[in-house]
Amino acid sequence: MPSFSHVVEEFIRTFPLFMKPLLLTFELTFASGVVGTVIGLLFALLKVSRIPLGPMLADLYITLIRGTPLIVQIFVLYFGFYKVVDLGQFWSASLALAVHSGAYIAEIFRGAIQSIDKGQMEAGLSLGMSPAQTMRRIILPQALKRSIPPLGNQFILLLKESSLAAFIAMEELFSMARRLSAETFDEMTFFLIVAVYYLVIVLFFTYLVKRLEQRLAKGDS
Amino acid sequence: MKKKRNILSVLLLSVALLAAGCGSAETSGNNGDGQASATSDTSSSASSAAGSSMTREEGVFTFVSSGEFQPFSYYKDGQLTGFDVEIGMELAKRMGLKPNPVTAPFSGIITGIKEGRYDAAVASHTITEERLQQVDFSDPYYLSGGHLFTRPGEEITSLEDLRGKEVAVALGTVYEQLAREYTDNIKTYDSDVTALRALDQGKHDAVVTDIIVGDIAIQQGFKIKATGVKFTEDKQGIAVRKGNTELLNKINEALRQMHEDGTYQKLSEKYFNRDISK
Repeated sequence: MPSFSHVVEEFIRTFPLFMKPLLLTFELTFASGVVGTVIGLLFALLKVSRIPLGPMLADLYITLIRGTPLIVQIFVLYFGFYKVVDLGQFWSASLALAVHSGAYIAEIFRGAIQSIDKGQMEAGLSLGMSPAQTMRRIILPQALKRSIPPLGNQFILLLKESSLAAFIAMEELFSMARRLSAETFDEMTFFLIVAVYYLVIVLFFTYLVKRLEQRLAKGDS
Repeated sequence: MKKKRNILSVLLLSVALLAAGCGSAETSGNNGDGQASATSDTSSSASSAAGSSMTREEGVFTFVSSGEFQPFSYYKDGQLTGFDVEIGMELAKRMGLKPNPVTAPFSGIITGIKEGRYDAAVASHTITEERLQQVDFSDPYYLSGGHLFTRPGEEITSLEDLRGKEVAVALGTVYEQLAREYTDNIKTYDSDVTALRALDQGKHDAVVTDIIVGDIAIQQGFKIKATGVKFTEDKQGIAVRKGNTELLNKINEALRQMHEDGTYQKLSEKYFNRDISK
């Protein structure tokens, strides 16, 4: 097991090497976060909608994704779908992550939408708005606000899950740690170091989400 | 604000404690260097292994391979088999030990040996200076060489052509090191076969791997081709924990016997139609 000072030394020595992977981890998380949120919102609306087969379709998607491991989904998308569409490495990884977290985000949004009092939909309708208009103008803005804390949580998960992209040759943080481990036979040092990277990013991100929540809470009485 | 700083310092402290606590375990596993070698010379071939501490579990020979390196180690009908695995089985038999084949991702095998998780790695490790600093190696049990594979239609005819190309390799292999000498654009997978599959799908320009493994993949219909570009000839050895001379000597002795009575030849021909130790 490595000593504390050794870990610190190696951290400083390999710091430049980790910069590009760090960026890639951010890119992966950001791309899949945005796409995942869009997917999640679409399926949440589908699930609460009255479109024929809509709720069933949403259920099917959520069941399939929640019922299978992310690493399996990543490999299926990376090696399995290439004949249908060759997405390239970055987008295979991002899309796998997005499709994965989309299922959880859909449930977050659905919960938030259903937590808004029914009376608001009725009020909107009685004012002459269509159900879609009421959803867009009245319900969704409130629901989105309520979704912020669980969404933040989901993004933290996503950030950490992006480490699985190491297994499809993406050179992100964890992949760099594995490469340095294999090079130096000094595994524990680099696994501890990469843990620190993730921890720092998560702490920073947690702080951002908290700030955002406080900002949005200003309107509440 | 103050509260947050407290949390941070607690976190840092716990990491420090963790690392410090772990540091003390460093010394174990290094003993038994001298005395082991003294006894091993007298005990010949498959004598009693009882009372010996050369394996992690008495009377059991735990040997590791990746299980993802056809035809050296792979699963056939759910059963781990392959050239490496059969060599390991034969070694166990000759040392009078019960064989216990296990698998682990290739990049973690050397560390597993160091930490005593396995007795030996019969995993097609090329004997290198770097690895010799971590573990001890048996006499070479076969010879091989890295080979450059590419896609049909790709014009790579020399190592120099690799510059600017994207090369996929299995993490922690000598082929990874070789490739890094020629290009920075390296993509790593957990196994050579996965890297070859990615090449087959056109995700990369080239793969460096063992010539035998690449040829098998071609036979299985992978859309890849051998470039004819060879790297230096490699000697493959069986790795054991540093200082475990007793086990090492027994392995070498068993290997020698296998060559003498033709068992090795038979095994090699079964998989490769030739003697790969030559």
